[in-house]
Amino acid sequence: MDFIQNFPFFSIILSMFSGTVCSVLPRKAARWVNTIVVSVAGILSLILLIYLIGTGESYTYMMGHFPAPWGNEIRAGILEALMALFFCIIMLLSMLGGRKKLDDEVVESKHNLYYILVNLLLSSLLALVYTNDLFTAYVFVEINTIAACGLIMIRQNGRTIEAAVRYMIMSLLGSGMLLLGICMLYDLTGHLLMSNIKESVELIMAEGTYHVPLLITIALMSVGLAIKSALFPFHAWLPDAYGYSIVSSAAMLSSLVSKGYIFLLMKIIYRVIGFDVFDGSRIIDVLFVFGLMGMIFGSLNAIEENDIRRMIAFSSVAQIGYIYMGIGMGTQAGMTASVFHILSHAATKSLLFIAAIGLTDVSGGSRKFIDLTGAAYRNKWAGVAFMVGSLSMVGVPMFSGFISKLLFAQAAVQNHGKMLPALIVLAISTILNAIYFMKTVIRIYTPVEESKYESITFKNMKLYAVTLVCFIILNVVLGISSQPIVDLIEQGLAMFA
Amino acid sequence: MIYLMLLPILFPILMGISLLVRKEMKNRPALLITTGVSLIITALLGLLAIILARGEMLLLFNLTATLPIIFKIDNMGMVFAGMTMIVFVCAGFFSFEYMKHEQKEKRYYGYYLIVFGILMALCFAGNIITFYLFFEILTLSSMPLVLHNGSREAVMAGLKYLFYSLCGAYMALFGLYFLNKYGNTLSFSEGGVINAELAAGNIQLLLAVAFVMILGFSVKAGMFPMHAWLPAAHPVAPAPASAVLSAVIVKAGVLGIVRVVYYLFGASFLRGTWVQTAWMILTLITVFMGSMLAYREPVLKKRLAYSTVSQVSYILFGLSVMDAGSVTGGVLHVICHAFIKAALFLCAGAIIYKTGKTRVDELRGIGKEMPLLLWCYTIVSLGLIGIPPTGGFVSKWYLAVGALESGMPGFSWVGPVVLLISALLTAGYLLPVTIHGFFPGADYDYQKLQKKEPNSFMTVPVLILTVLSVLVGLFPNVLINFIQQFVTKIV
Repeated sequence: MDFIQNFPFFSIILSMFSGTVCSVLPRKAARWVNTIVVSVAGILSLILLIYLIGTGESYTYMMGHFPAPWGNEIRAGILEALMALFFCIIMLLSMLGGRKKLDDEVVESKHNLYYILVNLLLSSLLALVYTNDLFTAYVFVEINTIAACGLIMIRQNGRTIEAAVRYMIMSLLGSGMLLLGICMLYDLTGHLLMSNIKESVELIMAEGTYHVPLLITIALMSVGLAIKSALFPFHAWLPDAYGYSIVSSAAMLSSLVSKGYIFLLMKIIYRVIGFDVFDGSRIIDVLFVFGLMGMIFGSLNAIEENDIRRMIAFSSVAQIGYIYMGIGMGTQAGMTASVFHILSHAATKSLLFIAAIGLTDVSGGSRKFIDLTGAAYRNKWAGVAFMVGSLSMVGVPMFSGFISKLLFAQAAVQNHGKMLPALIVLAISTILNAIYFMKTVIRIYTPVEESKYESITFKNMKLYAVTLVCFIILNVVLGISSQPIVDLIEQGLAMFA
Repeated sequence: MIYLMLLPILFPILMGISLLVRKEMKNRPALLITTGVSLIITALLGLLAIILARGEMLLLFNLTATLPIIFKIDNMGMVFAGMTMIVFVCAGFFSFEYMKHEQKEKRYYGYYLIVFGILMALCFAGNIITFYLFFEILTLSSMPLVLHNGSREAVMAGLKYLFYSLCGAYMALFGLYFLNKYGNTLSFSEGGVINAELAAGNIQLLLAVAFVMILGFSVKAGMFPMHAWLPAAHPVAPAPASAVLSAVIVKAGVLGIVRVVYYLFGASFLRGTWVQTAWMILTLITVFMGSMLAYREPVLKKRLAYSTVSQVSYILFGLSVMDAGSVTGGVLHVICHAFIKAALFLCAGAIIYKTGKTRVDELRGIGKEMPLLLWCYTIVSLGLIGIPPTGGFVSKWYLAVGALESGMPGFSWVGPVVLLISALLTAGYLLPVTIHGFFPGADYDYQKLQKKEPNSFMTVPVLILTVLSVLVGLFPNVLINFIQQFVTKIV
C-alpha cells in the first residue's frame, strides 16, 4: 500500500485535531493554524487526485482493526479527491475574504471558537466525502450540523439566533429521516458498509421481496438529505441563515455545507442503492419536480427581495434546484452536470457573498438596494467581482455558469421524457436569474452625484482584493477549460459504480 | 498570417477597456485623438484581415471537447464586416462634436470601441457557439450605450433591451443543444450541417428548433412579436449610438438568422415547410406594422426607430423567400439600410444638437437653417423609400423580383404588394420633414432665420454615408455580382 493512500485519513484527522488545538492557542496563532490546515488538506487532496489519476482506480481503506463486513472504511476515488480539493480551495478563499469582517463583527473572545468550528466543519466535510460506510456518514452529518449552527450563531444578535434555531430544527429533522433510513436499510440488509449493502440490495431486487420498505428507505434518505441541503420546498431555514450570519459563514454554508450533503446523496445513490434501482424508483421523479420548482420559486423570491444578501441566498435555492434537476434526470450525463454545478455554484456563490459584503461595507453597512447605488465605484474590486459572479450565474459564456447550463441542457436533450420540462424551466430560470442579477449590477454601477459614503482603495483591502481575484480566476478557469474537469467527473462517476 | 483576424477584434476591445479603466481625462483632444486613431486603425486592420486571411480558419481554443471557438472569414461575414467598419468610423467621428453636450464621454467611447470589436468578432465567427458567445457579450457591452444619460427612461429602456435580448439569445442557444445532437458539426457550412440519417424521424422537432432559433435571433433584428424593445431603446441613446444600434447592431440579429437558416439548417431543409411560411408572415406583418407605427409617431428619433423595425424586416422577408434573387436583395439591403439609417439618425442628432428640437412638427424651416444636412436627409430618405438612383431602389427591386419569381403560392404577389404599401408609408413618414423643412409656409418669419449648419465633424460623416448610399445605387453591379456569386451557393 502506497503512503499516499493514507492521505484521506490524514486530512480528516489533521483538521479534527487542529480544531482541538485551536481552543488553547492565542487568537492569531489559531488563525494561522486554521489557514495552514485548510491549505495542507487541499494539497494532500491534490496529491491524492494526481496519484489516483495515475493509478486509474479507486481503493478502500480500513479504519481500525475490524475487517469488513464490520468496522469503518474510507474510500477514495477521483471524484472524492476532486471534491475534497475543491472544498478546501473554497473554504480557504472564503476564510481569507471574510477575515476582516470576522474581526469587525465578532467579539474577540469568540474567534478561537470560530476557528474550532471551521476546522470541525472541514473534517466532517472531508469525512462525508471519503466515507464508505453509512454509520460514519451519519456521525459526521451530525458534526457538520453542529458546526454549521455554530457558524451561523457566532455573531450574536436576535436574527442569527433565530436563524440558527430554525436551521437546527430543520436540519435535525433531516438527520432524523436519514437515520431512520439508515436503520431500515440495516434492518433490510444487515450491513452498514456501502459495498455490502449494495450487494444485498441487488439480491433483494432480484428476489422481488421487500419492495415497499426499500422504496420508503430511499425516500427517507433522499428527503432527509434534501431538507439538509435546502431543496425547495424545504428551504425555509435558508434565507435567514445565509442572510444574517457573517460573510465567511454564509459563503461556506452555501457552497460547502449544503454541497457536502448533496455529494453524500450522490454517493448513496451510486454506492448504496445502486443507480439503476434508484432510477427505477419514483423518488427520482419527485426530486426532479422539486428541483424544477426550486429553480423557479427560488428565483421569484430573489426578485422580490430588497436585501442583497437575502437575494443571493434565495438564488442558492434556485441553484440547488438545478443540481437536483440533474440528479432527477436519471442519466449519467445529468449526474455529471450536477457534479459540475456543485463546483461551479460553489465557486460563484461564495464569490457573490464575499463581493456583496465589500459593496455593503462602502454603503454604510446597509444591504438595501437603494443605498447600494453606485457602490461599484466606491469599491471597484468588489464591483467587478460581483459582476463576474452575476454573469456566471446568468450563464454568459466564458464563465462557469454557462458550462453548467450547457451540460444540463445537453443531458436534458438525451432524456426524451424529461426534455421539454427541463429545457423550458432552464429557459425561464435563466431569464429570472438575469432579472435580479442584472438589476443589481446596473444598480451598483449607476453613478451617484454626491455620495454620502466613502470609497475604499486597494491599499486598505489587499487581502480581500486578492481573494476576489482568485475567485474570479477560479470561475473563468471553470468556464474556459471545463473539459478536463468534466472528464475527471465522468471518470470518477464511472469509478463510483 | 492567420492570427491577423484576431487583431480587428482584440485591438478595439483592448483600447476600449484601457479607456474605461483610465482616470477621467481632463484633456478632451487627447481622448478624441485616441478614439479616432483607434477607430481608423481598427478599420484598417479589419481590411487587412479580410484581404490576407480570407477563407482561413482559426481555432482559438476549445470551450469543451465538442465546442471549439473558431473564427473564419467568409464572404457573408465580409459583407457585414465592411458595412460595420464604415458606419462605425463615420458615426464615431460624428460623436466627437455631438458628445460635447453629453456627460461621461470617456465611458461612451470606451464602450463604443468595445462594441466595434465585438461586432467584428460576430462577423468573423466560424461556428454557432462562437457566434452565441459574442452575441451575448454584444448585448451586455452595448447596453451602456443605451443607458448612457442615466435617466429613468434610459434605465427602463436598457432593462427592456437586456431582457428581450437575453430571452432571444437563450432561444438561440436552445437550438444549439439539438444541433449538437443532430448535426455533423457546429461550424457554419454552405448548405447546412444537418445529418440526414440522424434527422430522419425527427424532422418536425428540428423544424420547431429552427423556428425557435430564428425567433431568438429575430429579437435583435426587431421582428414582430419581439420588437417592443427597439423603439424604446434606440431613441434614448445618444444620436451616434442610436445610429450604430439601428444601422449595425440590429444586423447582428440578421447575421444570426442568415447563419442559422443558410449555414446550419440549410435552405433546402426549410424550403416549403411551415417554418418558412410562418416566418414570412411574421416579416410581412412587421414590415407593415413598423411603417404604420412610424407614420403616426411624432418624435423624429422614435419614428426612425420604428422605421428600422420595418426596414430590417424587408431584409428578413428577402431571406425568408429563399430565392437567389431575393436573398441577394436582402443582403444588399443590409448595406443600403445601414448607410441610410445611420445617416438619418446622424441628421436627427445634428438637429437635436443645434436646435434641441425632437418632434417632427417643430422642424418647420429646418432646411433653411441647415440646408446641407437636410439635403443629405432628403437624398437618403428617397433611398429608403426606394426611388432610383439610390441604393434602396436596387435592393428593393431584387427583393420584389425574387419574391415574384419564387412562385410561392400567394406570397409571391402578397409580399411585393406589402413592400409597395410600406414604401408609400415610408415616404409618408420621412418626407414631411423635408417638405416642411424647405417650405415652411407663408407665415414663416425669415427675419429670425439663423444659419445653424453644424461643423464638419458632423457634416462630413453624414455626407460620406449619403454619397455611399447613392453610389451603391449608381454602380450596383460590383456589389451585386459579388453577392450573387456566394448567394447562389447557399440557396
